[in-house]
Amino acid sequence: MDIERKSIEISEICRVEGHAAVTVNFENGVIADVQLNVFEGARFFERIVLGHMYDEIPHITSRVCAICSTGHVVAAIKSIEGIFGFVPASRDLLHRELMHLGMIIESHATHICALALPDFLNVGDLMTLASQHPAEFEIWKQLRSLGSTIQTIVGGRPFHPVNLHVGGLSSYPDKEQLVEMGKLLDQNQENAMNLYRLLAGLNVAFGQGVAPVYSALIPAQDGYGYFGEEIRTSTGFQANVDEYRHYLNEKVVRYSHAKQSTFDGQPFMVGSLARLAMFAERLRPTALALYEKSPLAGKSHNTILNNLAQAIELVEAIDRSKVIIETLLAASPGGSNSKFIHQAPLLEKRAGAKTGAVECPRGTLYHFYELDLSGKVVAADMITPSAQNTARIESDIRQLVAGLKEEQADSIQAKLETLVRAYDPCNTCATHMVQVVYK
Amino acid sequence: MSVAKVLPTISVEGLTGCAGELLVILENLDQLLPYVRIKSFPFAQSRNEDGPVDITFVEGSVSQNHDLEKLTKIRANSRWLVAVGNCATTGCLQKASCQQCTAKSMMQAVYGNDSTLSFLPAQPLEHYVKVDVSLSGCPINATQFLAVTASLLREQLPYITSKPVCLECKMKENPCVLIEKNAPCLGPITAAGCGALCPSVGAACYGCWGVCDEPQIEAMKIILSEKGYDVDEIYSRLKAFGAPEHLFERMDKKAV
Repeated sequence: MDIERKSIEISEICRVEGHAAVTVNFENGVIADVQLNVFEGARFFERIVLGHMYDEIPHITSRVCAICSTGHVVAAIKSIEGIFGFVPASRDLLHRELMHLGMIIESHATHICALALPDFLNVGDLMTLASQHPAEFEIWKQLRSLGSTIQTIVGGRPFHPVNLHVGGLSSYPDKEQLVEMGKLLDQNQENAMNLYRLLAGLNVAFGQGVAPVYSALIPAQDGYGYFGEEIRTSTGFQANVDEYRHYLNEKVVRYSHAKQSTFDGQPFMVGSLARLAMFAERLRPTALALYEKSPLAGKSHNTILNNLAQAIELVEAIDRSKVIIETLLAASPGGSNSKFIHQAPLLEKRAGAKTGAVECPRGTLYHFYELDLSGKVVAADMITPSAQNTARIESDIRQLVAGLKEEQADSIQAKLETLVRAYDPCNTCATHMVQVVYK
Repeated sequence: MSVAKVLPTISVEGLTGCAGELLVILENLDQLLPYVRIKSFPFAQSRNEDGPVDITFVEGSVSQNHDLEKLTKIRANSRWLVAVGNCATTGCLQKASCQQCTAKSMMQAVYGNDSTLSFLPAQPLEHYVKVDVSLSGCPINATQFLAVTASLLREQLPYITSKPVCLECKMKENPCVLIEKNAPCLGPITAAGCGALCPSVGAACYGCWGVCDEPQIEAMKIILSEKGYDVDEIYSRLKAFGAPEHLFERMDKKAV
């Protein structure tokens, strides 16, 4: 029997981090196969860290990804501090959180404005965006500058921070710098609200997806947050992140440089949409009000809404950052203007293994390390949000093209790209890995 | 500016890396927009063109055949090829990992024996093609990037030196973390340009910009030994960000 084959191929998805392609194969007019092929070169980070000292690890792993480098740094620090049984001072934890929020602000603003928005405004290049939509371009400039200023003041540079270490910070911002960040945050509240309004007003007529299994860290603090020790899924499953190998089933797929994860055999979704689906009630009043009047509160599972979810998180991140800065200013009301150089605490090295996890802009990031007595890494594993989302992206694509006739195949390309982009996939992250190295 | 004026063209391409340089360029692009036309920048826009271009900035190392094919095409089309960031200029961490184990073992570890996926041990651009300007950094310094671009737009090759981090650190009058705090600071052998970031916040430089011109790597090893660091640890710190192997050969010979 003759099988008639046809395929849709998007050889490179633009406006995402790293390199990925999509292939949809039809046989006799029916979809046979959907593949998201991440073809960024393999990067072997789990191999790179072996044999290195514990204090080098955050700096090495930050290079997995620029835009979420702070997340990789914090995840590595949490794992190693966990092994040593070290609990940082509250001042260090607050600075760490502020740094993380700086990353959330910069990453979300860049994804929404520069990567996702051009689809909805119908512009194909940046110059057109800058010249025809100067207001949106300006919002992006200001918001990403806010995020990068916070990360530069707290971490030493806009990404790949030099000031965050196992054990705490090596120096702290002075009063003037705290005040400067506070002012910038005030100035950007309206930008974040405008961005939300802009996205909420867009007509995004994509088919309603089936509800995915959402997964996110339970914020350790009472409020909405990005750090925690346990995950929860929308199916009610709950576990300590140390158990991740039991609940995340990561496998290598033949056609891609990124591994894929499944939950109970089902694709799942991590990221802003997942966090809000489970923990929206913890938002501060401003962001909560936005959430409640958005389609998200109506339990809409449309993937495109991840963009809107990021906008809500932007508003929340600005609010929360302001509270942190007020707390830090209140803690040292005299506020010495000279930079206090902190002597890194003498950590008591211990052998052991632990998982550190954080919510990155794109979802839960896991770092696992095993150290020997001298403090050197003997085993490492990293599971990135984008790798966790891959299976779900494929199932989403399958659904979008399901009702499609062959002759419509050509017109679906742009829509497919928009869909994949909504996940904010980070392929540089997804291809960091070599196999899990067990001792 | 007259509408008829033909602006010089630039392209920004990524091979295998963390997209850090793409991000730095994206975030500073508004400063370039009045002076150039962007021909291709797949990270940032979907309407991209092939063909001849005045300047192409390339990030990342060559880590697979796909990268190599792309680079060869870029070289053929570009008047100036600028390697941006340490993955492109030295291979950085990615090359360091390839120096530690064989290509075959990595290939098998990741994909199994019968994989059809391509894999090349990570190499900087210069390993395969002529590079006109090498701009180090992990990530690159935005001011340096704009200066290099301005220089090329004026038809001049930029002047780039790589003096040690210590030079910038002294100019900032930082206390020396190596001598005074016994921290394993690699500033003496690391290329400056970052503004001595780590020592300025009281931390040890970990060498992320790669080695400086004529690095005194033997002396670095002696100082770290005197500070109580064992030889294995010294090597692991020095090699993390991809210092070239031949430096270590020299160091080993002198140690005998």
